[in-house]
Amino acid sequence: MGEKILDIIISQAKELNEQLTNKISVEQGADAPLFGRGGVLDSIALVTLVVAVEQAIEDEFDTALTIADEKAMSQKVSPFRTVGSLSEYVQKLIKGEI
Amino acid sequence: MFTDFLSDIFSDNREKDALVWQDRKYLYAFLLNAFQDWRKKLDESGIAKNSVVLLEADFSPNALALMLSLIEHECIVVPFTTSVKSKKAEFCEIAQIEHIISIDENDMVSFEKIYSQADHDLLRQLKERRHPGLILFSSGSTGKSKAALHDFAPLLEKFKIRRNAMRTLTFLLFDHIGGINTLLHTLSNAGCIVTVQDRSPESVCKTIEKHKVQLLPTSPTFIALLLLSEAYRNYDSSSLELVTYGTEVMPESTLKKFHECFPNVRLLQTYGLSEIGIMRSKSESSNSLWMKIGGQGIQTRIAEGILQIKTPSAMLGYLNAPSPFTQDGWFDTGDKVEVNGDYIRILGRESEIINVGGEKVWPVEIEEVIQMMPGVEDVAVCGVKSPITGQMVQASVKLNSDETLSDFRKRMRTFCKDKLASFKIPQKVILTDHAFHGGRFKKMRIGN
Repeated sequence: MGEKILDIIISQAKELNEQLTNKISVEQGADAPLFGRGGVLDSIALVTLVVAVEQAIEDEFDTALTIADEKAMSQKVSPFRTVGSLSEYVQKLIKGEI
Repeated sequence: MFTDFLSDIFSDNREKDALVWQDRKYLYAFLLNAFQDWRKKLDESGIAKNSVVLLEADFSPNALALMLSLIEHECIVVPFTTSVKSKKAEFCEIAQIEHIISIDENDMVSFEKIYSQADHDLLRQLKERRHPGLILFSSGSTGKSKAALHDFAPLLEKFKIRRNAMRTLTFLLFDHIGGINTLLHTLSNAGCIVTVQDRSPESVCKTIEKHKVQLLPTSPTFIALLLLSEAYRNYDSSSLELVTYGTEVMPESTLKKFHECFPNVRLLQTYGLSEIGIMRSKSESSNSLWMKIGGQGIQTRIAEGILQIKTPSAMLGYLNAPSPFTQDGWFDTGDKVEVNGDYIRILGRESEIINVGGEKVWPVEIEEVIQMMPGVEDVAVCGVKSPITGQMVQASVKLNSDETLSDFRKRMRTFCKDKLASFKIPQKVILTDHAFHGGRFKKMRIGN
């Protein structure tokens, strides 16, 4: 499942890149910074990416998912730092660990 | 007394068509008779003068005659249509209804006494003035319906000035300020009211052809629907001279397309609200969204970008909400406007602004762009909560193909890229298969 989620996020990031001036360095894979330190996204781009990932996950796993909510915002370490951290967070959400 | 000017007009035009109802024509002679008849019957009916009366009806011979008779009987009329059927009990309670008059689809009339005594302060004030009244409920697309109480006497004033008589289709509903305005405007100029059974593009076009309709008062949503349906291609609409639209913001794309399809029809933007009646307006040109609003005794001013209006035909107040008037008597419309000399342009309801991370976004601006995309049948934009940016922009889109969400989203982003600032490009997209307007053909935008 981890692989699959990572693929989804990277493919959504690539799609979003077409719209961005500061592009997500998707070639870094899981290490690609998103938001915050070293990140390239502004808040709007982050919202756009997160919602697109939500929708893609819904299609793929047939489960409704809210990634960006108060829970995500109050995590000790932000799930939005990198592609990898986002992927881990989504996995935990799907497994019901958060 | 209050409707004498109408009786005079009716008797001067006895042989003219007053109404087309269920494809049958009724002359002014008929209407005058029915009106006088109901005045007598009301005197005998046990409905005391100044009673609050719910008139459940649609445009029909008896509905017209009864509406005028109730005004003459100094009653406070609450027009009511089946479009809000589920709210009847709520409306009766808020408006402190004393009598219900129902007119069914065969124009049969029935009376019902409700055992209550209208003692709301505003109602009492109006009763003491011995003036007829009008209560209009706001559509309540956002939140609870508000009941606006008008003194009918000043509302009737503007209809005493004679204007063009036209064959007018009653598209706007009987319980809507626009519908009441159409009714009084048409009758006070000896025009003809043409009613429709249903308000689909097909049925409207058919009626325009059959009864040579000249004026269609409608909404931008219906105009967009009409253009999309292409129903107008199957009918002769050459009688049509003027289309008026109000109630919501017109997308520029719809305006342009309308002129391409109907090069000989004039478009006029009107401005009106349940609370202040319909203003006279003058568009800068037929294809412009800039307009001047005014009319007898009407003053306008802009405060912090919001249009405020002072008019003698303003309501007395809400029956169930605090007064929206400023201390010096101006009505705050809640409509954000742009100003250019004498002209203004309505941007939208202040309450519909989406705030994306501090940036303001107007739904209509985005709808306009998305509406231009091939395959898009309808679109409604609203704000939904986002813990990151406060709100984000959500577009609900109805497509006429089976394009997938992911394909559409890609195409939409590319399409919008050079047309909208990045924060305005919908972050969330939903595909749906239903349309976004209610029975009033006004766009519904639901968000949080």
